[in-house]
This record gives sequence, C-alpha cells and structure tokens, in this order.
Amino acid sequence: MSTSPQIATGAWCAAAAPHRFGGATHDRILRAWTFGASIVAVGGIVFFGIAAAKVIAVSILTAIGADWIVAQSRGRPVIGGFSHAVLTGLLLALTLPATIAWYVPFVGAAVSIVIGKALFGGLGHYLWQPALLGRVVVQIVFLNSLTLGPQNPSWPVLGPKHLVTGSLSNGDEVELHRYPGWFRSQIGVTDDALKMPLPSQSLRRFADGRIPAENSLRYEPFVRDWLPPWEDTVIGLVPGGIGETGTLAIIVAGLYLIYRGYLRWQLPVAMIATAALAAALLPIQIADSGGQYDWFPVFADENGRAVGLAYVFYHLTSGGLMLGAFLLAGDMIATPMRGRGQVIFAACIGAMTIFLRLYGVLACACYWSILVMNMFVPAIDRGMKRPILGIEPEAP
Amino acid sequence: MSVLEDLLGPRRGFDGGLFLPDFKAVTSRRPIETMPATSPLRVPLTARGDLATHIEVRRGDEVRRGTTLASRAAAEAVAVHAPTSGRIVDIDRAWTAAGGFVDCAVLEPDGRNEAAARRTSWSSESLLQHLADHGVVSPSPTCPGHVLLQSIGASGASDLIINAMETEPYLASDLRTLVEQPGRLIDMTCELADALGAHRVIFALPHRHQRVVRRIRAEAYGRLIDVVTLSERYPQCHPIMLAKSLLDREVPPGGTVLDVGAAVLPLAFIRAGADAWFDDRPVTHAVVTVSGDAVARPGVYRVPIGTTVRSLAEYVGVAEGAQKAVSGGPLTGIALHRDDTVVTAVTTAILFFQTDRVESPVPCVRCGWCVEDCPVGVDPAELFQLEAQQSFEVRHRLGLSACIDCGLCSHVCPAALPLSAAIWRCRSLVGDSPEAS
Repeated sequence: MSTSPQIATGAWCAAAAPHRFGGATHDRILRAWTFGASIVAVGGIVFFGIAAAKVIAVSILTAIGADWIVAQSRGRPVIGGFSHAVLTGLLLALTLPATIAWYVPFVGAAVSIVIGKALFGGLGHYLWQPALLGRVVVQIVFLNSLTLGPQNPSWPVLGPKHLVTGSLSNGDEVELHRYPGWFRSQIGVTDDALKMPLPSQSLRRFADGRIPAENSLRYEPFVRDWLPPWEDTVIGLVPGGIGETGTLAIIVAGLYLIYRGYLRWQLPVAMIATAALAAALLPIQIADSGGQYDWFPVFADENGRAVGLAYVFYHLTSGGLMLGAFLLAGDMIATPMRGRGQVIFAACIGAMTIFLRLYGVLACACYWSILVMNMFVPAIDRGMKRPILGIEPEAP
Repeated sequence: MSVLEDLLGPRRGFDGGLFLPDFKAVTSRRPIETMPATSPLRVPLTARGDLATHIEVRRGDEVRRGTTLASRAAAEAVAVHAPTSGRIVDIDRAWTAAGGFVDCAVLEPDGRNEAAARRTSWSSESLLQHLADHGVVSPSPTCPGHVLLQSIGASGASDLIINAMETEPYLASDLRTLVEQPGRLIDMTCELADALGAHRVIFALPHRHQRVVRRIRAEAYGRLIDVVTLSERYPQCHPIMLAKSLLDREVPPGGTVLDVGAAVLPLAFIRAGADAWFDDRPVTHAVVTVSGDAVARPGVYRVPIGTTVRSLAEYVGVAEGAQKAVSGGPLTGIALHRDDTVVTAVTTAILFFQTDRVESPVPCVRCGWCVEDCPVGVDPAELFQLEAQQSFEVRHRLGLSACIDCGLCSHVCPAALPLSAAIWRCRSLVGDSPEAS
C-alpha cells in the first residue's frame, strides 16, 4: 500500500497519558484574577478620581519593572510571564489610599516583588502574599502619610457630580450627624470632595470606649454621628483605600472568580462568616464606665432598633475585610491546598481581623491577619492530608 | 450540570473525581458502522507476545472470514481468525500499541467477504474453552477472556460487576453497544454469572443515560441482576472506583478488585463473549470509537482486526496536520507514534487530535486541584516534589501504589506539570526497592 497523502509517518507526538487537558493554565488563572481586581480598580477610579489611576499605574509598572530586573540579574526569563507582577501591583494599589504620594506605591511594589516574591524563590514558592507584604512594609515606613493620627482625622471621597474627574485635595469636611448620605449631600461650589472619618477607624474608637454615650444610648449616637449611611458603605462612597470601599464591586469580582473556579467559595464565606460572628460576640468597652465591657454587641437594642446588627454590618463593609476575603486571602500560592484547610485558614483570618480591629493597635488589621495566617499554611496542609483509599486513617 | 448532578444524581460515589466534558454528542448518536476491509490487513497472530500460538496458514493460502489463522499452543493463548476472505500474502511483524511487535499475517482482501463454513452442532466444550477458541479477549484488564474468568473463579469473588460506565471523554462504544444490543448483553451476563457462581450481579450504568437504563432494566426484568446507575464522575469507570461506589469496599493500595471479593468485567468482553457463545462467531472485528477534533466522520466503527491506523484514518477522514493519535481514552490511552500500528482485539478507541499541548511547565502554584480531585487520596503535588528530589521514604510507598493512573492530576494541573508520569516513574523506582516487601 502506498503511504497516505494525509498523514506523514512519524508526525505524531508520543507522550505519556493524559493526552487532553482541562484548559486552566496558570497564566489564565492570573488573568482572571487581574480581571476581577480591575473591576474593583475601576470602581476605585470612579470614587477617587484620576489620582487613584496614577497610584495603580505606578504600582503595576514598578512591579513589572522589578520582576524584569530580578530576572535579568539572574540571567533567565521571567517564569510564567508578567501576569503575576501585574496582579501583585494591582492588588497592592487597591489597598492604598488615592491621596498617597507616588513613591509609596513605588516602594511598596518593589518590596512586594523583590522581597515578597523573588527572595522566597519566585513564583510558587513565596510564603506571604507579596502584595500584602509590600503593603505592611509601606505602612511602617511611611507611617505619617498612611496612619490616621489626630492630625489627619478624615479622608476624602469625591462628591456627587465630581466623580472620576474631581480632585481629592479640594475637600470639605462633612458633619456626619447632619450628613444625608452621599447622593443627597450638598457641597460647596469650589469643593470636589467630601471629607469624613474613616469608618474602620471610628469602629476602633468605639470599641475603645472613646465615643461618648448619650443618655445611656451608646450605639445610636455612634452610628448617627460617626458613620456614613449603610448604603454608601456598600456602594463604596466612603473614604478608604482605592479598592477597599467598593463592597459591591468586590463581591462581583469574587463571584466571577468563583464562577471561573479559580477561587473556592468556602474561603470568602468562611472568612466573612467568622468575622461577623466575632464582631457579634466580642465585647466592646463601654464609654465612661471605667473599663467595663459589653459582651454580645449584636443583641444591642436601643429605642426598639436593632443597632447591634447595624454595628456588625459596618464591621463587615468597612476596612479591608471584603477586599481581603475575595481578592487578597485567596492567592493560591499562599493558601492551603485543600478546601477544608482553606476554611480553617479563612476562619482564623476573619476572627483575627475583628480581634485586632477591636483590641489591637495595628492599622490594616485584615492584612496583618492574612500575613500571620500565611505562616500557618504548611502546618494546616500537614494536618489536612486525605486518607488513602483502602487504608484506615490513623486516629488523631 | 455537575452541580445538578451532585444534588439530584445518585448518592453512591467516591471522594474526588471530576465531571469532564464528554465530547460524545456525535459518536453516541451514530449507529455502529462496519468498516469494510479494502486495504491489506496485518492480523496479529497472537493476542500478546508471550502467548504462544500455532500459525495455521502459509503464504499464498486462501482464507475466508472466520478461518483460523492461528490456534492455541499454550493454555493461556487464544485463537486468531481471519476478519475477511482473501489471500495470505506474507507472514510479517506488526506493531501493536499495547504489545509492541508481534507476528502478523498480511491478508490481502478479495472483496467478497465470504464466511467460512460454520459448525452446525454444539460441541460439549466448556464456556472457557469456547471463548478461548473464538479469540475472546478483555480490554481492561488486558488479558485473554478465559484467563480473566479463571482468575475470578480462583479468587472466589462472589460479586460480579458489569462495567458499562465509560466515563472517559470521547468514548462511546460501550454506550452504542448498550443501545443496539441490550438483550444479548443481559443474556451473556447471566451465562457468565452462572459459570462463575456469582452470588450477586450488578450492572453499572451511567445515570445520565436514562433511556439506556430503562431499556436495560426492561431486559433484566425477572433476572437476578441489579441494574444500578452511577454518576459519570471520572474515573467512576475504573474497577477500584466501582467496587468503592457499588459495594463500599476499598481495595488496599496496589491490589485489585479481586482482593475484596469483587469481579469487574468490561462490557466489550461481554459483547465479544456473546457473539462467540450465542452465534458461534469468532472475534474478527473490534468495536472502536474513532473520534477527536481532527476526525471528519467521528463515530463507533466495527473495524477488522489488523487494520492499520493509517487506513482507518483515511476511511474516517483525518484532517491534515493532526498532531496526536491515541489508542484508548484521552486520559489513560497510549499515544501512537507510528501510523502502521494495527487495531487489535483489545483496541477500544482510536482518537486523532489537531493539537498537542503547547504550554511549558511552571512551578507548582499550589492550587490544590490535584489533591482534591485525586480519586484515591494521594497527594500528587507532594509526590512530584519528592520525585524531583529523589527522597522517598517507605511511608510514601502506600500513596504511590494506591495510584490508579487515571491521569486526572495532570489533566487539571494549571502549572502543566507531568504529575501522573512522575508518580508512575517513582512507583517503578520504589516498587523495586527492598523496603517495598
């Protein structure tokens, strides 16, 4: 028989089974994460203007540059391409406020890539989520511009009709007890932004008993005078980090990742659920009482209103908790391998976040908790081995 | 659909596994088509290199369909018969995917396809003898049919499982057989159960194909056969997973289902056995799924044994530039590197693909998918690292020998690491070491 005109002999590749693959590649996973994070970034640019875009650009470009320089210095191409550097830079920018000077994201991204990633052996080997490592380093190094000390009590967010194009520095202080919410707020002609206290900082002051009570009412004056309306905290029209405030955008991004299968739903659910539980149960100091504590704040009930539930709700939507749950804690390399290990991991993060926020002194409690739990990942993995079929697992 | 399957599907199952996209839409709807023998066939004269046979034909002999080409010379061997009528032009060597080079008879078909004279009366030989003389072999485990039945009888297994699961993508030959001849399958199952003295007979079917399940239930009505449906989570088709799902018995690492008193027979063996036992028809054709994204006319074909993959590719129309040909399923099959590989009685599928994998491996990204999806609970990521460092300890031996080579870990790995190949390599390493006793 003559040879076939269709197939050349020996043209087929011989390789070990399997011969078809699931289609998920590391690069595709990172692109999906970057897409999810950019949903949140777009929200941040809308709420905080062009300044936010500048922070994001500086952070991403620095991360790419640092990755390239590290690869050059070692004389080999960047493993896995620049997708990981882009994602790390973007996540770092999301945790920073838009008012920050340009050198803060620059230093942060460089630290993330060089120390957080390259020093630990690069992609697949790092212990701490690199973006968060960079974030806490700049938190310590640039303490003055990032801490909300008494000299810098309130942060800006763009006002109505000034979204995207407005400037954050033209801010007007708002009095929260007369603030009708972002949509109905009136600001001056020359002002672009509204300035108000950071909700997570107010929650910490409240837990420390530094917010005075009013005729035995404690929660109601706090929610009225120190916090913006709840719908603003859900949409993201409150001050904070570029990506921290937009709870809705974060949830959309997280649902997208869960739908793609690149984030296990157990992780954010466990983290938010334990954070809610911790906020509901852990005691807060009663103002002007000489160190007395009020347990189970969730059951607080003043004038027939369930103000305790509102208190728990503000805990969930303020600070970095939502961003941490959906985008930062789920980094594959710095989380346990198995789903149930991730539940333990995330539950500890959630509880620790609220604990640090109520009783700790560190800013960005959520990021510190994630970094602390990252160190326990090998231990969790060791304790979460699957039993092998046909062998009875050892009794613990 | 996998979420719905999990919620509404049957409860039986195993930990791990994965619902794979099945790519069976075309192949499972076309009836089984017999491929005519036109080009010369290179019929292997033994099922396996070590099974001795007497070659009964010489160069220049005229044979008819069913003429014995080789008869049994060893107790474990099976006879080989001519798939069509024609002339033997040569005795040569042919390459088979599973067994390498074996002796073959080159048969030039004359196009008339005349059958040899059939025996008219039943002889008094036993079922096992009958299967061996008619060349019946089992594709998984790959061994002669009568040897498989003998080992089941010797092990005293009391539960007989008929494996019609076929959960690998693309494969549809079992499903087509179920659609086209359900009655014969049930009849042959009863014959085999009688011969083996099985206490319990379970016919495992995919839950998703409800029409097939109803048809089989109707055929099995009144017989002592449990028709059980299972979800199509891969690798449910593996005998060890069937024993776990159906009988809740866990096979110890490195063992087979016979160790836990269960016997699993593949459906292709039942079909070939039915042809031999009821119709006195020797095995001359293999029912082969020919599919893959490079095939113009995918389907299930009854292919004459000895057909080369090259002529099969011409018959079904394989696109130019196909980069991969696989004998068997896409997750467990053997990649073919020669186009003169011949179809044998144990071939179940020939798949042609346009592309091969292009991604290069990156370091493990610790996604944990291989750990969660592994059906037997080993940790492929850890074993891969140990293989790279060559640092095995005895405690890893159980995990290594428990692996059933399903290929899921490599299939899901986003870092494109060759996990299953690495486990296979370390198993051969550790299995030979003195600690392994």
